[in-house]
Amino acid sequence: MRATGPLMPHLPAALTERTAGLAPALIAALVAIQLTAASGVLRLDVKALAVLVAAVLSFLRVPLILCVVAGAAIAALVRALAHV
Amino acid sequence: MGHARRILVSAAPIAVAVLVFGASFGVLATVAGLPAWAAILMSAVVFAGSAQFAAIAVIAGGGGVLAAVITGALLNLRYLATGIAVAPVLPGNRLARALLGQLVVDESYALGVSAGTRGRPHGLTVVVVGALLWVAWVTGTAVGAALGPVIGNPTRFGLDAAFPALFAALLMPMLRQPRAVRCALAGALVALALAPFTPAGVPLAGAAVVGLWLAR
Repeated sequence: MRATGPLMPHLPAALTERTAGLAPALIAALVAIQLTAASGVLRLDVKALAVLVAAVLSFLRVPLILCVVAGAAIAALVRALAHV
Repeated sequence: MGHARRILVSAAPIAVAVLVFGASFGVLATVAGLPAWAAILMSAVVFAGSAQFAAIAVIAGGGGVLAAVITGALLNLRYLATGIAVAPVLPGNRLARALLGQLVVDESYALGVSAGTRGRPHGLTVVVVGALLWVAWVTGTAVGAALGPVIGNPTRFGLDAAFPALFAALLMPMLRQPRAVRCALAGALVALALAPFTPAGVPLAGAAVVGLWLAR
């Protein structure tokens, strides 16, 4: 899969120009898919909270690592409290 | 070299997450009955977290190796598109670029796009981050396969939330242009619309197609 693009001798400029839209679409889809349950239906649980926290921190230009750690920590904390 | 070092430092936190993720793959693979060497070999060759977890789930569920391979390939369909996106900025001849292309995973692609210009990811970032994450992924798998059930269920530590959080944090800086916002919304909606009805991987491939389509 990953070799296909690099193996092609000449990629049409029309195609490579369009790849600017690929990253936001694909990464937004990755976020969305990771928030779905096994059935494929969106499920807003603690992971959605983690996404919200990370997105807000990232918007405020907080460094990437802190966004991720804060998101994961919130999820673990809420989960631990819910189980008590 | 200073440039590469700066890239490595910026990617270090992601490498730690991938290391832990790799360890949880190693644990689950050995629990599913895969020998440790096979789990490590799979991580070294396939180097795709979601595809490997899915393949293990299929094997553990008695689905057979062929079904596992097809599931993994479907999950990696999106890499056709990222490979095309990164191809123009990879150095060397076609063989070298095909090999370097194996280092294009979601995280290295996203950091490469952030470090690059519109429509042109930063090639060195993609390659350096990809190589770092490959080492972290294979090492993590080996650690997980060795430690086995000692580690326990990784969701306890919020690890399953770390990856959506990571992708959300990577996405936000890309949304400066209205066009990118449109692509992101459409990609997420298409993926969510496809997810209940299609095998894993198709939603992401659909989002990739929509992103290419809406780019201008």
